[in-house]
Amino acid sequence: MADMFGYAGKVLRVDLAARRVRVSALEKETAAFYLGGRGFNSKRLYDELTPGIDPFGEGNKLIFSTGPLVGTMFPTASRFNVSAKSPLTGILGDSNAGGHFASELKYAGYDQVILEGLSKKPIYVYVHDSEVDFKDASHLLGKDVYEADEIIKTDLAERRVQIACVGPAAEKGVRYAGIFVNLMRAAARTGMGTVMASKGVKALVVKGTGSIEVAHPEKFDRIVTEIEQEIYSHGQYWPRRQMGTTRILMMANAGGFLPTRHYMSGIFEHAREVSGERLAEEYNVKARGCFACTIPCSRFYVVRDGRFAGLFAEGPEYEPLGSFTARVGNGDLDLALKAIDACNRLGLDALTTSECISWAMELYERGLLKRTETDGLDLSWGNGDAILALIERIARREGFGDTLADGSRTAAEKLGRGKDLTMQVKGLDIIMADPRGLKGFGLGYAVASRGGDHLRSEPFIELSDDPEQGRRMFGIPDSTMRLAYKGKGKLVSYFEDWCAVIDALEPCKSIMQNMEILTFDKAAEVIEAVTGLRMSGADVRSVGERIVNIERMFNAREGVRRQDDTLPRRFREEKLSEGPSKGVIFEQEPMLDEYYHARGWDKETGIPTRATLERLGLGDAAAELKRLPQR
Amino acid sequence: MKRINIDAEKCSGCRYCEMVCSFHHERKFSTSLSRISVTKEDKYGFDYPIVCHQCDTCPSVTSCPAGAITRSESGIIQVREDLCTGCGACVNSCMFKALKLSGISRPLVCDLCSGEPACVKKCPTGALSFKDSEAPFDQPSDVRRKLLGRWGIIG
Repeated sequence: MADMFGYAGKVLRVDLAARRVRVSALEKETAAFYLGGRGFNSKRLYDELTPGIDPFGEGNKLIFSTGPLVGTMFPTASRFNVSAKSPLTGILGDSNAGGHFASELKYAGYDQVILEGLSKKPIYVYVHDSEVDFKDASHLLGKDVYEADEIIKTDLAERRVQIACVGPAAEKGVRYAGIFVNLMRAAARTGMGTVMASKGVKALVVKGTGSIEVAHPEKFDRIVTEIEQEIYSHGQYWPRRQMGTTRILMMANAGGFLPTRHYMSGIFEHAREVSGERLAEEYNVKARGCFACTIPCSRFYVVRDGRFAGLFAEGPEYEPLGSFTARVGNGDLDLALKAIDACNRLGLDALTTSECISWAMELYERGLLKRTETDGLDLSWGNGDAILALIERIARREGFGDTLADGSRTAAEKLGRGKDLTMQVKGLDIIMADPRGLKGFGLGYAVASRGGDHLRSEPFIELSDDPEQGRRMFGIPDSTMRLAYKGKGKLVSYFEDWCAVIDALEPCKSIMQNMEILTFDKAAEVIEAVTGLRMSGADVRSVGERIVNIERMFNAREGVRRQDDTLPRRFREEKLSEGPSKGVIFEQEPMLDEYYHARGWDKETGIPTRATLERLGLGDAAAELKRLPQR
Repeated sequence: MKRINIDAEKCSGCRYCEMVCSFHHERKFSTSLSRISVTKEDKYGFDYPIVCHQCDTCPSVTSCPAGAITRSESGIIQVREDLCTGCGACVNSCMFKALKLSGISRPLVCDLCSGEPACVKKCPTGALSFKDSEAPFDQPSDVRRKLLGRWGIIG
C-alpha cells in the first residue's frame, strides 16, 4: 500500500456463518498505536468481544495478525499471533508461531484476518490474494495435522500454500489444542486450535503473490546488514545454531531449576541423557529455519535405533522436551520425542498435556489417584507407555483422558482432589523453569496476561546473575540476581513491554530479545526505515506498555484481580530440596507491590489507574473503569 | 564457468535468498519476484533452492519462439523484455524450473547479479556458493533421494 510501508495494508474479516468476507484498510492510527501482531489482536479483542461470552459461542472471534517487519528481509521476521477468548483459561487467549505462514499472509495482502461466528459445516478457508474460498472440510474431520496438510495440498493441486490447521484434539474440544503451521510449528498455548475447531474451521490456508515495500530501502538495507553482523558475531550464535532452545535443559539443571517430577525437585538425574547436547551429537541431521532467519535454530532429527527407529521430525524445542522428560520423570529421550511427535500430530499443546499427565502422576504416587480411576494405567513417574497412552486418550477424550482434556484446574475440580497441586496460573500451566530459582521469571508467570507463561516477559538477564546489569538498567543491583527480590517489579515491567513490542513487530523473540539485539532504540530506527513512522525509543516502549495495559483491562473485565496474580502453593511454601537453588521458596507479595507500582496500577486490585490509562492514550479503557465487575 | 552451486544439506529453507534477490532486483520484497526459489518439504526436512545453473545447452533459449532468451558474451542467460511475449515456453522447457512467470509479464531468471550474486553473499548457512563448476547439476529429486538415504529416513 503506497502510503503505508511495511504493512500489507488490509484487514480481512470472515463471517463464517454467512460465508461472507469484508476487506477494510488497516487504520493508520491503529498501526502507530499498536504496531502489529499481538498489539492488533489484543486491541481488537478488547474492542469487539463482549465480556463474559462463551469461548465456544458465536460471539468469540479468532484473530490472526502479523507485523510490519514480516515478509521483508528483516532477520527472523516470520511470526504471527493468534488470539481469542481462551476456552482453557476464560481470559485473554493468545499464541505465537513462526515458520512460513505469516509472510505468505502478507503477500496475500493482509496484516490481520478475523474469523467471526460459527460455520455450520466443517470448512477450511482458502485465502489466495484477493480471493477467499470456503472449502468443504468434511473429509478432513478426524485427520491429524500431517494428514490434513497433505490432503489440502492435494485438493488444491498446489504445494506452495501455507497451512494453519488443527488436529483431532481440537475437534474433540480438548481445551488446549493448538494451531499448527509447517506441520510442527505450533501456536500451541491457551487453546486457540480449540476455538478454531469450535468455529467449524479445520484450516486457514494462504497463498500470496504480492509484495511488501519499505519506506527507506537504503537505510533498511544498512540496518539489516548491521543486525546480520551482530547475530553472526554473537557469543550465542553457535550454541543456538546447534541446539536451539534445547540448550536450556542442561543450563536449568545446572542452576537447580529444571522442573523435575512435577516440581518436586530442580535437578533431574537423567538430564544429560535427554539434553540438547545429546540430540545434537546423536540425532540431528540438519538445521532448519523460519522465514528469513539468519540463525536457523530448528533442527531436523532422526531416531536411528531402538523401539522408535524411523521416527523423524523437526524440533523439539526446550519446553516440550523438558516437559516429556524431567517434568514426568522420564529419562528415555526416544520416548520423549515420540510423545512430542504424537502431540504435534494430534494437535495438542505439548506443555499443558505434559502438566496434566505430570499432575496426575503426582496424585497417583501420593495415593490420591487409584488405578481404577486411570483406566488401569500405572501412572508411576517415567512410565513411558502410560504417557503415550494418555496422550492419545486426552486427544480422543476417552476415559481418564476426558477428565484431563479440560486442563489440570478443571480436572482437579471435577475429581475434587489435588487443586493445590496444579501448576498453573489463571488456568494456564507453568513452563519448564522453577520460579523459586528465578524470581523475576516467577513474577512474570504471576502477572502474565495469558496466564502462567514466560513469553510475556522472559527477563533472561536474571540468568547472568550479574549485579552490574541491574545497577546499569534499573539502578538496583538485586534486580538481575536470580534469587534476589528487590527491583523485580521494574525488571518484569520493562521486559514485558519489550516482549509486547517484539510480539507486535513479529520477529523472533529468542533472537531479538534474548540476544539483546532489537532494543527499544533500535526498534525505533527499524520502524522508521520500514514503515516511515517516526518514533523515539521511549515511544516504542509506550506501545509495549499500551499493549500490556489493554490486555490487563480485557482480563479485568473478565474479573481478574490481584488475588489471581498468584503462583501455586508449592512455590510459595515448599523449599527446593537440593542443588544451587536449595532452601528457597517464592515470596510473591512484596514483588507484586513493586510491580503494580512500576506499572501504575492499583496495588489493592491490580487494575490500571485512570491516570495510567490516560497517559497511554487509552481514554476508552479509562472510561470503562467504573463499569468493571465487582469481585 | 562460475555458477551458483547448492549444498542442500546446509540449506535451512529460510528463503533469505529469495528476499535478498527480490530486493536486489526489484527494490521490493516478494517470493514471487525472486529469481531463486526454495523448494521445501517440511515432513522430510528437505530444502532445495532452485536457481538457474546457466546450463551449457539451455532448452529455454532454443524453445523461445520470439528469440527473447539469449546468452551474454560471458554465458549468462538473459531475457530481452522487448521481444518477450510472455508465452511461458522457456519456463516449461527448463528442466530445473528455474525461470518463473508468476503474476508478471516477463520471465524472471537469475542474472548472477553481474558476477556477484547477492543470494550467495547473504546465505546464512553457506548452502549457496559461486564457483567454477560443470553443469547440468543433479536434479533436486536425486539430491533428495541421496540425502534422505544418508539421514536414514528412506532405505
